[in-house]
Amino acid sequence: MSDFNKDFGEYKKDLDKASKDENINRALGRAVKSYRENTDAALAKYPHTLALAEEVRGIKDYSMENNKQLLDQAMKVIESNHGKAFYAEDREAAIRIANEIIGTGKVIVKGKSMLGEELKLREGLEEAGNEVWETDLGEFILQLKKDRPMHILSPAIHVPREQVAEIFSKFFNKEVPPDIAEEVAVVREFLREKYFTADVGISGANVVAADTGQIVIIENEGNVRLCTGAPPVHIAIVGIEKLVPTFLDAMKTAEVTWRYANYGAPGYVNIISGPSKTGDIEKVTTYGAHGPKEFYVIFVDNGRSKMMADKNYRQALHCLRCGGCMYECPVFQVTAGHFGRTYLSGIGSVWESFVDSVDAAAPMLYTCLRCGRCVERCPMKIEVPTMVGKLRSEVVSDDTE
Amino acid sequence: MPAKKKIPPVLEILRDNIVNKGNPLALNAKQNSSWVKDLELPAKGDILFYTGGEYQLLPYIDSLVKTMTIVDATSSAFSLLMGARKLVNMTGINAEKIYASALAKDKDRYFSINYKAASILRKLGYEICYDSTGELYSGALLHELGFWKELKGYAVKVSDAIRATGAKTIVCISPHSAEMFKQVYPEIVDFPQVEVKTFIEMVWEKRDLLPPVKYDSPVVIHDSCRMARDLGIFQQFRDVLDAVGVSYVEPYRCKEWTTCCGGPDKMLFPELSKIMGGRRVKELADTGAAKALISCPYCLSAIESGNKDNTILVDDFVEFIYRGYEN
Ligand code: SF4
Repeated sequence: MSDFNKDFGEYKKDLDKASKDENINRALGRAVKSYRENTDAALAKYPHTLALAEEVRGIKDYSMENNKQLLDQAMKVIESNHGKAFYAEDREAAIRIANEIIGTGKVIVKGKSMLGEELKLREGLEEAGNEVWETDLGEFILQLKKDRPMHILSPAIHVPREQVAEIFSKFFNKEVPPDIAEEVAVVREFLREKYFTADVGISGANVVAADTGQIVIIENEGNVRLCTGAPPVHIAIVGIEKLVPTFLDAMKTAEVTWRYANYGAPGYVNIISGPSKTGDIEKVTTYGAHGPKEFYVIFVDNGRSKMMADKNYRQALHCLRCGGCMYECPVFQVTAGHFGRTYLSGIGSVWESFVDSVDAAAPMLYTCLRCGRCVERCPMKIEVPTMVGKLRSEVVSDDTE
Repeated sequence: MPAKKKIPPVLEILRDNIVNKGNPLALNAKQNSSWVKDLELPAKGDILFYTGGEYQLLPYIDSLVKTMTIVDATSSAFSLLMGARKLVNMTGINAEKIYASALAKDKDRYFSINYKAASILRKLGYEICYDSTGELYSGALLHELGFWKELKGYAVKVSDAIRATGAKTIVCISPHSAEMFKQVYPEIVDFPQVEVKTFIEMVWEKRDLLPPVKYDSPVVIHDSCRMARDLGIFQQFRDVLDAVGVSYVEPYRCKEWTTCCGGPDKMLFPELSKIMGGRRVKELADTGAAKALISCPYCLSAIESGNKDNTILVDDFVEFIYRGYEN
């Protein structure tokens, strides 16, 4: 039994400290402003997005209702596309499956994945004797800093360039100036070599089409293209809630996701349905042309089906992880991801209640103001305050036996 | 038997006070209704004026919060002090001390908001009654903090008290009470067939009868989250200002997009709450308005906490409208 008071005390100290941290303050101030401006501009430029978001809410409703069937369908079609599909009930199973595919002593390049954070995937692979590199610039900084993401889209939102320069200078063992372009360049040079020598590339997915087995990954840096394209093996880890019925549904979901993540159009949208192949010589299909020869998808539950089964909380699975709500959250605006664990802010407190436990999420649940502005922002109109209220009643229910 | 979960003692204190004393700080009926003064409101009638004792709590909240945070929740001494009762005794948190620490001017001001609201309704021609001996707090904090089981029992008492007044309409001065009676009570209890209204809706209906308010520069409205998002009430404030001849400006975030004052975190995260209050004050002040109008007791308290260096003048909407009668 966790001791709410003790956890709570530590957590509160951390929140108070974060709220007075000049770096967080400055970084968040800029981020909130630019998020709002960019999103307003993107929504104004593509005004169909509002209606599309409503349509995606319907798609998500249907998909949660029929998740088992979609999972079945997707797994079969991935196999018929010459990929391999797995189902992992929890962290242990997911890590075991990944390690069985990978083995030991391998070099792995990894794209950003919230599920990866949830499963502590990097640690799990490292413990099996592998070398893992985060390739998203923000995640790479955090890997070196031994820190955790403070925003789901901009994980290193709390680290200013000066601190990045310090971290890089130490790691690369040379003077890296606090100049963003130069900071980006050193990482580019370092990771290029890793992409082309790595044994395995790992990615998450934003959405998966059950009918075609195509996984869709939205990105801007281009690291996911390299991670999923250069190494001979690609493993995608995906939460089961990411399944939608058709390819078209997946595209609609993806567009709404990036639009609310403040993009008119993101740098890249990767769509992957199987290993790389060619039939150019005598029309004989051969796998592993330029891209990976092996393609694996691990579908992970880890508390999701429990959330899906409870109509009070099912809606939380509609979350696209666009991050919009966080920029509108008054607590997040002053504390960043300190109001969070793996998942952040109000929606994060609901997710933590399932992927971890209500007890573990309790301090977060009691931080939420239940002010409801996140619902205004949310493309999925997820009723976070209502769910937080209900979960609080679960937190205190033992106490009132 | 399941192990008792250790929740922050302040939550237990609030819960027990509400359930046992009908008020989060255990204020008694006499204290609660002392604002009535010369109004001589009948105890029964068609239109029940309901304060829920909420504005009456405000003078005490800050001293309660201060007392609650004396003990560092992470210290080892703290874990020895767990049970709420023990904490109350050992750290000297007791009702008398907290009541005694309230400033007389705060008490006068916050209590008078009820007086002014009741007076405005009367002057507009509403025949209101007020249950000065039996009025109970709505239980909004029980709902907010997750004490749903306790709320179920408590709501029966509140409903009975309201039923006993024979009212057909209940006018809530706080959006939190209105939300409880409109949205929560009908789901959990046999709530009397009354129409639930907020003070501002009643005023809005008769806004043409309001006297003008002399105020030369524009004011800014801080919409309360509950009022604007849950109850959908925000245009009414603007219409009333138009009616009394006062101009207003809008902050960057307003109406359904309003920024929370930070009030809900006041008990558990007072520092953070103050910072959020301060940020909202800044948003309001950035409009250039010299005065902000507030329409929720908890917003009023949180905005005041965030406004310690008097960045902006702060009035409750009730106080501001009442000025028309004072001219
Ligand atoms: S809860 Fe809504 S706004 Fe927040 S990340 Fe999820 S989809 Fe985006």
